[in-house]
Amino acid sequence: MQKYEKLEKIGEGTYGTVFKAKNRETMEIVALKRVRLDDEDEGVPSSALREICLLKELKHRNIVRLYDVLHSDKKLTLVFEHCDQDLKKYFDSLNGDIDLEVVKSFMFQLLRGLAFCHGHNVLHRDLKPQNLLINKTGELKLADFGLARAFGIPVKCYSAEVVTLWYRPPDVLFGAKLYNTSIDMWSAGCIFAELANAGRPLFPGSDVDDQLKRIFKLLGTPTEDTWPNHSQLPDYKPFPMYHATTSLAQVVPKLNAKGRDLLQRLLICNPGLRLSSDEAMAHSYFNDLNPSVRNL
Amino acid sequence: MISFRIFEELNFSESESLVSGPTTVICNFWSHLNLDCISSHWQQWILDRQDLIRERQHDLNIVTEEEHQKILIFFCNFMQILGEQLKLRQQVIATAIVYFKRFYARNSMKCVDPLLLAPTAIFLASKVEEFGVISNSRLVNTCHQVVKNKFNYAYTQEFPYRTNHILECEFYLLENMDCCLIVYQPYRPLIYFVQDLGYEEQLLPTAWRMVNDSLRTDCCLMYPPYQIALACLQMACVVMQKDVKSWFAELGVDLEKLQEICRYMLNLYEFMKTYDEKKEIQALLAKMPKPKTQPSRPPSSQQTQDPNNPNQDQNVGQNQQQIGMNA
Repeated sequence: MQKYEKLEKIGEGTYGTVFKAKNRETMEIVALKRVRLDDEDEGVPSSALREICLLKELKHRNIVRLYDVLHSDKKLTLVFEHCDQDLKKYFDSLNGDIDLEVVKSFMFQLLRGLAFCHGHNVLHRDLKPQNLLINKTGELKLADFGLARAFGIPVKCYSAEVVTLWYRPPDVLFGAKLYNTSIDMWSAGCIFAELANAGRPLFPGSDVDDQLKRIFKLLGTPTEDTWPNHSQLPDYKPFPMYHATTSLAQVVPKLNAKGRDLLQRLLICNPGLRLSSDEAMAHSYFNDLNPSVRNL
Repeated sequence: MISFRIFEELNFSESESLVSGPTTVICNFWSHLNLDCISSHWQQWILDRQDLIRERQHDLNIVTEEEHQKILIFFCNFMQILGEQLKLRQQVIATAIVYFKRFYARNSMKCVDPLLLAPTAIFLASKVEEFGVISNSRLVNTCHQVVKNKFNYAYTQEFPYRTNHILECEFYLLENMDCCLIVYQPYRPLIYFVQDLGYEEQLLPTAWRMVNDSLRTDCCLMYPPYQIALACLQMACVVMQKDVKSWFAELGVDLEKLQEICRYMLNLYEFMKTYDEKKEIQALLAKMPKPKTQPSRPPSSQQTQDPNNPNQDQNVGQNQQQIGMNA
């Protein structure tokens, strides 16, 4: 621990406090996540173990790097690459205006990070602006894998209580316990709309019912035709038959037609029909992506 | 689309070995089909035979290679039974055994008593494999029972460790594995290959048991899981008298490697024929390199106490920080 000089508190993660710190030898700025070990019976918390073991496997430019795990004095400290801010704070600094090139760049990088996770059998499960870190250079990185899960590795059943409500797909809201990469794709769609609106959340629901109502009002209430067997889901309840808003133009007025098309293909209630991260990256919306972003 | 949940009904117990008898359970199992080249398992944990011998040199100055193997087999058996008592899936037990073997591939038995490391590896593997947290007190109690009821031929005294020892040892284990926690197992590739090859009903149970038995060799430290799966499948074909030479030839894998694995497995079976663990293990455990500080036994007045009694912990020797460990 002598190696690092603690500078300031950055925030609270899923399982511990995060500090900004400086490596005394290299002067490099890092983020230290101190793992609380409150539960004597649990040992190292599962959420911290998930983050450690998944980030050990996932080394990618759009995924935050875990440099080191320090163990001293019955405490565990994870040393991460430091990023300037998270997307939430970035939104707060925008005053409602965002460059559409930035929207495209961030969305592409989000998808690229996700494609890498999904290609290595990892679901993030908790995507939200607070978990996306950005740098002054315009890089975006996925962080906070405390809820992530290697889906090759199995569980009796996935907990239904994951993913912040606003970014949670309707299948999970209906209590689906078997889900897959499509969970992250829905969240990516919500974040895409939020990016395009400079930080105004797309579905800021107050509870599960309100969340579903907001989704169906925009996208139309699913039917057995559009989404077979969804009424069999454990927490299913009927909703009024809302009809889909004909165009997303009112919802994301600044986004061009191709962008709206991509958004539409991500925000599909039936999880089986949602675009995958690879498909989304290949969407024509990104045809004119600044080449420097591809190399970023 | 990848199938995310694969339920397989096995008509044999997933924990079976060719050395033990069958029971029937229905289970589901998962593991990655194959290593990918960025995985820590591939990059850091496929070791060379010569390196392994060199790393173990300290212990091999005290015990012979064969004795060393017997000790490792004993603790594999201990973890297998402990895991079964805790009702863990075979995948969790297998991962714990790999953790255990990784640790002693880099450290002497002098660093941490294997009797402490074994339950710690089970504790950590259960969390990593998303099987859930085993309550530490339940773990310690189960160790007590297992040592007393199943391994009294090896230990005359009761299981000496407490929850605080396991918590501390968990850090140590994490650190020594360089936090590489995701372990790939041969089970999933085995199913994939056997489905492609055919004769699943005849071949899978035998090959699966051989994979379980392979955990008692050094193969999981030296070969990628798909090769172990294929070698076990190949041996199962010999046992079940299936001629599958052309299928293996068309795979395009290094058959030389499969031969090596088969040799390790056959050596194990040969060796198990004459080895009587019950007779030999006590002397081996006495000879085994040990940490300098041994845990103090609970005072005799407490031996009859309820193992659930948390106050017992406070009565353990003062130097409990380092008990069973030489950092």
